[in-house]
Amino acid sequence: MSQYDWLVLVLTLTGIILYGLYKSKTTRDLDGYFLSNRSMPWYLVLLSIMGTQASAITFLSAPGQAFTDGMRFVQYYFGLPLAMVIIAISFVPVFNKMRVFTAYEYLEQRFDVKTRAFTSFLFLLQRGLSTGISIYAPSIILSSLLGWNIYITNIIMGGLLIIYTMSGGAKAVAYTQQLQFMIIFAGMFLAGYVVVSLLPENVGFLDALHVSGKLGKLNVITTGTNENGFNWSDRYNIWSGIIGGFFLALSYFGTDQSQVGRYLTAKDLVQSRMGLLMNGLIKVPMQFLILLIGALVFTFYQFYTPPIFFNKTQIELVENSPYKDSLSRMQSVHEEISAQKQTVVREFTDALALKDTATIARTSEQLKILNEESELIRSGFKNILKSQPGADTNDTNYIFLRFVIDYLPEGLVGLLIAVIFIAAWGSIAAALNSLSSSTMIDFHKRFSKRNQYVGIDKAAAADLAVSSERDYKYSRLYTLLWGIFCIVIAQFANRMGSLIEAVNVLGSLFYGVILGIFLVAFYFKGVKGNAVFIAALVMELFVIALFKWSTLGFLWLNAVGALGVVILALILEPIVRKK
Amino acid sequence: MNQEKIPVFKKWSYWYILVIVVLIAKIIFFSLFTKFFS
Repeated sequence: MSQYDWLVLVLTLTGIILYGLYKSKTTRDLDGYFLSNRSMPWYLVLLSIMGTQASAITFLSAPGQAFTDGMRFVQYYFGLPLAMVIIAISFVPVFNKMRVFTAYEYLEQRFDVKTRAFTSFLFLLQRGLSTGISIYAPSIILSSLLGWNIYITNIIMGGLLIIYTMSGGAKAVAYTQQLQFMIIFAGMFLAGYVVVSLLPENVGFLDALHVSGKLGKLNVITTGTNENGFNWSDRYNIWSGIIGGFFLALSYFGTDQSQVGRYLTAKDLVQSRMGLLMNGLIKVPMQFLILLIGALVFTFYQFYTPPIFFNKTQIELVENSPYKDSLSRMQSVHEEISAQKQTVVREFTDALALKDTATIARTSEQLKILNEESELIRSGFKNILKSQPGADTNDTNYIFLRFVIDYLPEGLVGLLIAVIFIAAWGSIAAALNSLSSSTMIDFHKRFSKRNQYVGIDKAAAADLAVSSERDYKYSRLYTLLWGIFCIVIAQFANRMGSLIEAVNVLGSLFYGVILGIFLVAFYFKGVKGNAVFIAALVMELFVIALFKWSTLGFLWLNAVGALGVVILALILEPIVRKK
Repeated sequence: MNQEKIPVFKKWSYWYILVIVVLIAKIIFFSLFTKFFS
């Protein structure tokens, strides 16, 4: 990075922090710290919801995902708008009416304290682990750029976040996310523009799309079927996206405190609903555009030679090993193939301009074969890499980053790095805030003798009880402790492959069951606490076993967990009641 | 009791229909997009 990039980066990040602190003035009690005194308009709720979901992982991994696997990942978001509608109808009015601090408070009134505690525990476990990965994601940027040790970088990155989150609370989280989104959109738009402008003179945006389309990267809609019928282990297709994605989004936005905490900050029911419904309209196109950048970067590398592997430090690892000569042979073959690709792709785009269908068909076939050969070389490199201790054979997260550093103009590199940082900060800050709120409200205040109150109906009593300076200080302490926990988790995140997938897989292990508990609570009034508690416990073990020993695509785990809890609880209820 | 004022439409159900219709439109657009560029 040039000095100019550093200047842009430092100024942007400092600006965000100062803006957050300036906007963070609120009452020194739990209502102010966790819920911004319930004062937010819908557009801030919307930006906060989107900013919490779209972490650095979104901007690092998604373009890489499109580069390697095509744009079909967007289908994963198809269930989200449907989930927004259901949450706006069923979930929000209940949370709003009860004026809860956490979604899990409601479960005590509906079922019992053990179901509330169990659900909150599952949330804390899942969100704590996911946030650890979210700290690791921006850390790989620093380590790759500056050659810093990744473990130390995690500690520095997490340390900065803890200070920021502890000082600001939910209000600072929401207001900074507003500014962050403007910078993120500006940065990503400029990156997309630069990719296209760097293409050869006679190659335009549509030509670029034709190239990546012919090479299978614009596979936005896939049906998940092959010659043997529907492939249940296929991760992203329209069905797993609509059904599995629906359950995942319903669980994430309806029952994950990091999201529930965002729309609980809204001024009233109307503002919460509008924020969620707008998210339902905007999320899919936004994700489509981010993935499109990845597909365009793929086209770009048909005209220019890509690195054999996008994580530079891993290439250096092999360069300093006995496989140095093999690497150099592979690199020369890789460059030879790339040169051939450049010739063929130019022939292809020329044929496009002339509408010469025969040449288009021939060159696109040739390009496919050349790209398969490139992949074989890359696989060969990965095999060598595997033999090295501490090697990371997945470079999906490095693809976009490598492109940014190598090809974007001065200043824009700094801005794009800032985009990744502030996206990470927005989502991690919201997550730490929610981890702290669940620990404080669902465990500390619920089980501390000084604050004991029985039943949740005492919303007014709870409001009174929580508004104290002492609780405010404890909440800040829990934010600190969770921050430390997440840093520890970040140290182990480098073995998880594509980070965006790792977070989603992790979510799918717990979200289905948590959602099942809430579905029973909302729609099956006859089922009581004991039945749902046993059903949730059994299904959680079943989902983990399914993930470990079956090849079922992870998105389906959400549906299995949620429906499993509902069905099992309905079966168990008469049996438990008799006993 | 405060009467909630829904933006743009008279009923929330119109908003819900809009979100679902827009989703269907997106899926149709993406299908055509996939076919056109494949």
